[in-house]
Amino acid sequence: MTEILALDGLVKRFGSRTILDGISLNVSAGEIVCFVGPSGTGKSTLLRCINGLEDIQGGRISFEGQAVQGNPSAIRAVRKRVGMIFQHFNLYPHLTALQNVMLAPVVVHKEAKAEVEARARALFDKVRLAHRINAYPAEMSGGEQQRVAIARALCTNPHLLMFDEPTSALDPETVGDVLTVMRDLALEGRTMLVVTHEIRFAADVGTRMVFMDQCRIVEQGDPRAMVAGAQTERARKFLGTIHG
Amino acid sequence: MGYSFTLRTIYPYFGDLWQSALNTLSLSLLAIVLSIALGALVALMRRSALRPVRLLGAAYVEVMRNTPLLVILYLVYFAAPEAGVRLSSFMAALVGLTLNSAGYMAEILRAGLIAVPPGQFEAAQSQGMSSAQVLRHVVFPQVFRTIYAPLGNQVIAVILASSLATAVALDEVASWMQTVGSSSFRFFETFVVAAVVYLVLCQSVNIARILIGRKLFPQGRRA
Repeated sequence: MTEILALDGLVKRFGSRTILDGISLNVSAGEIVCFVGPSGTGKSTLLRCINGLEDIQGGRISFEGQAVQGNPSAIRAVRKRVGMIFQHFNLYPHLTALQNVMLAPVVVHKEAKAEVEARARALFDKVRLAHRINAYPAEMSGGEQQRVAIARALCTNPHLLMFDEPTSALDPETVGDVLTVMRDLALEGRTMLVVTHEIRFAADVGTRMVFMDQCRIVEQGDPRAMVAGAQTERARKFLGTIHG
Repeated sequence: MGYSFTLRTIYPYFGDLWQSALNTLSLSLLAIVLSIALGALVALMRRSALRPVRLLGAAYVEVMRNTPLLVILYLVYFAAPEAGVRLSSFMAALVGLTLNSAGYMAEILRAGLIAVPPGQFEAAQSQGMSSAQVLRHVVFPQVFRTIYAPLGNQVIAVILASSLATAVALDEVASWMQTVGSSSFRFFETFVVAAVVYLVLCQSVNIARILIGRKLFPQGRRA
């Protein structure tokens, strides 16, 4: 498997507060890495460092063999190849669902509108929202908005998808719709990083589970094995309380 | 003996009034558009990561808000020629009015920028947009939507403030009023006519603004 992402000794601080304390991780194409752990342990921050939404204070990030950190043009190159899905969707409220999905391919990737629109319409079928194509975000439910956000991320043909707690802001009924779409993506063999509290999803769909606590990776391994019985006391306790 | 109000004496001057009203209108509209552009620049300066740039933006706003427009117009029209910059009455009025209005526009736009959630910037950046693309495609459309109503105040303020351009010898509605008043001695009538002209101009522009708004934002208010 070709390596897509390599993190080496990543350190992130906000002022004197340490958020990430030496994170090293390698991700190969086709892997679905699920990050779990208590809130405030730096899981979301880790994703945000990868595409440069946060700067880092130490360590190295390389994406598809190219060093990322501290180089604005390299960061933009990474962003063009990494799709990000946010907890609160962050759809553009002044644009329709279709326009949301088409904006970056047309503006950033300079693709022809007709080509992008054909691809966008196919993506709306994939996320099961073909009937909502002309709706504005304010007119859609949270689950619908998140599926549009997934279509928006997919439309730039990303090499890596990063999900930052994609279902945490949704009501229980619509969580399933979003997870179904994510399962479909997993079956396509997409490379995905998923920060989630959905342990069952992580166990079913993930190819690797990374348990983080207090700014570090405490344990990682096969998701099913970890849920059945983690090596470390800390992971076992967390997965035990949240599971079921 | 009451004052007998009659417009008959000033009828002959109504032909000039049309041209004066057009000057007021074109001066005001140009100043509004240019001051939005300049105000946007100043509002962005006030959010800069660089402290000197932020201070410069704040200083601009305070200087323009705390200086009478009349003084700015005098500086541009009478003082600038000493420095070799000689402007026509119209250009001087346009520059002065734009500089002044931009101070207020900057504050209106800044409020609109603050109202755009950080997640919007992050979503746009995460898609690989440059700073200019983020502003052009994601941020400013939302800013204009937020500030569209408060913008109406400033639009009317600019039209009314343009009456000071008479001080730099521009032939606009206020100067028509002064000229016609003092040559016909029907001051009361000319004042009333000028007031009506300003009222009509302001309301026309305001109604146009509302209609344009309906075209620009067809989906109603954002939730």
